[in-house]
Amino acid sequence: MNRLSLKNIFLTSIITSVTIAAILLFPACHSIEKWESDPQGNFDALWTILDEHYCFFEDKNIDWNDIYASYRSKVKKEMEADEFFNLCAEMLATLRDGHVNLSSPFNTSYYRKWWSDYPQNFNKRLIEEHYLNFDYAAAGGVIYKELPGRNVGYMRYSSFSGGIGETMLDMMLYGFRETDGLIIDIRDNGGGNMTNVEKLASRFLAERTLAGYISHKTGPGHNDFSEPFAYYFEPSKRVRWFKPVIVLTNRSTFSAANNFVSVMQYLPQVLIVGAHTGGGSGMPYTSEIPCGWSVRMSASPVYDRNMNTTEQGIAPSAGCAIDLDPEAEAQGIDTMLEFAIILLNRLAQENKPDESDRGSRSVGAMCDVGNPSAPVQIKALSF
Amino acid sequence: MTNLRQLLLAAITLLCFFFAEAENRSEYVTYRPVLSAYTLDIGTAHIADTYLSPLRYNGFSTAFSYERMQAMRFNPERWIMQLHISPEFARTLNPARNSYIYDLNIHGSWAMMARFRMPATWLTLMAGGSTGADLGMLYAPRNGNNPVSAKASWTVNATAAAVARFRLGRLPIVARYQAEMALAGVFFSPSYGELYYEISLGNHRKLAHGAWPGNYIRLNNYITTDLLFGATSLRIGYNNYIASTSASNIVTRRITHCFTLGITTEWLSLPLRNTSRFPSADARIISAMY
Repeated sequence: MNRLSLKNIFLTSIITSVTIAAILLFPACHSIEKWESDPQGNFDALWTILDEHYCFFEDKNIDWNDIYASYRSKVKKEMEADEFFNLCAEMLATLRDGHVNLSSPFNTSYYRKWWSDYPQNFNKRLIEEHYLNFDYAAAGGVIYKELPGRNVGYMRYSSFSGGIGETMLDMMLYGFRETDGLIIDIRDNGGGNMTNVEKLASRFLAERTLAGYISHKTGPGHNDFSEPFAYYFEPSKRVRWFKPVIVLTNRSTFSAANNFVSVMQYLPQVLIVGAHTGGGSGMPYTSEIPCGWSVRMSASPVYDRNMNTTEQGIAPSAGCAIDLDPEAEAQGIDTMLEFAIILLNRLAQENKPDESDRGSRSVGAMCDVGNPSAPVQIKALSF
Repeated sequence: MTNLRQLLLAAITLLCFFFAEAENRSEYVTYRPVLSAYTLDIGTAHIADTYLSPLRYNGFSTAFSYERMQAMRFNPERWIMQLHISPEFARTLNPARNSYIYDLNIHGSWAMMARFRMPATWLTLMAGGSTGADLGMLYAPRNGNNPVSAKASWTVNATAAAVARFRLGRLPIVARYQAEMALAGVFFSPSYGELYYEISLGNHRKLAHGAWPGNYIRLNNYITTDLLFGATSLRIGYNNYIASTSASNIVTRRITHCFTLGITTEWLSLPLRNTSRFPSADARIISAMY
């Protein structure tokens, strides 16, 4: 065993090779681009991160190289932090995207024109005072009540970041079972968790439903996208709702709330009422620049079930566009909510169900409100 | 794929070559004590993961390691096995020191090495192969939809060690340098801009990648010195871990330099109710490393 045989020499050479490889491989690690932490380095990092990850350059016809040329010359080595921040924010605003933010310890940039150039169309106080009488049930991020004297169920979900409990949904939907329909008010809902979108939407599904498509960047090129992946929502196994539903929207219905609308708009018992939504269909991705400021951007485009982009928002159903009238608002009337209530009352008159359709139970679900095999086809109606 | 196939063929040929030695069995009754080492590694971590951030993060790293070595049954003088399990944790900061990346990982590997005592009897060389897996994640809490970069891999590795025995005064010391390098395998990586939300929706395309030294570099360097005070030894050492992967335009780099401190014990399992099976005078006790 102690002989220095050929085999020993061979194995010794293996050991030597591994050791040499160990030394040689250290500098051979895969390269990562590095920027200086001065204004120019930070600007270049910011521009490059957006260049490689932002997903709507082509859709919005944005020449990002041109924007680099315009703004890079304004970056000076001696800039103050707030001056540099404002310049970067101005550059990011050219993307016209509410999902693009630069966050520093002293400020966060937002592109606000996607909603600030439009009527707000929502007054929370108006609803709570004149329709809910400051008396409503609240659980997680949802408030709900059967509107007094109107025979309509109302739920307001102010943010998809807020919790939405299954038990709350059971109690609410079952409690509304005798009403003409349900209003889901997601005006001013700026989005949140996509899982909450599925949780809520699943209560209105009769079967496994194509919810949309999602894609992602496969590389740093502006057109490097994956094949859109079809994703489906499963129907809830708890209380489900197949009576008419109206989703109330405004321009501040954004991101995950916009996605909720993109799914709900294709369900037979659903109408979208109000104003055009704000869009925000790119799933945000977060990165950072050398000075430690974080940057968020749309990175994964989500499409509706017909492969339409909803980045620019979703229009209300035909004949269902309506604004909040300021004069009526001053008198305690929400014209958008009134429109929805009257529409549901009318639909109930026109689609009086058979006795067998009311509260029917179905296999696999705890309870169905309405008939899952034949939900009210309200889109066939004219307005 | 051609490279991968060539690497696998080379590895199989090498293993066949090693196993040819297995026929030279000893005629002595042999006992194979187990060398167990429990160590704590503390040191620095240097992490970069372009899925989470383009910046390099630096911080501290700690790990608890269990190592078990034993001569193998079929040819104990020539072959040894080594088991290594190590849960690791690192906390690192970006250059601006306002954002963290946490590294949680568990590494396990099993190696089989042939050993060759050199003409200089104080030196033993070992070489062989190992297979192992890593499972863990990098976590950047500040990132909204992409806070995690999951890590999972299984690899076949080459490993080699040099063990030297000497005395410092009257104190016996066993020093070892061991290197382990990944040769081939498979590892997980999402696509360039793919969010885990999309994966959770069921898109599992192109998540597994074949590993070869061009896209998966992983190297462990261990230097240990065991100070043999008796049945238990004090282990002092240095552990260097280098990993660099490149897949789907995502580069991940993890480097740690750790000081190692722990204890090693060598033990032999004997049946207490059957003293006839205790080692006789002509029995040979074949230690894995000492």
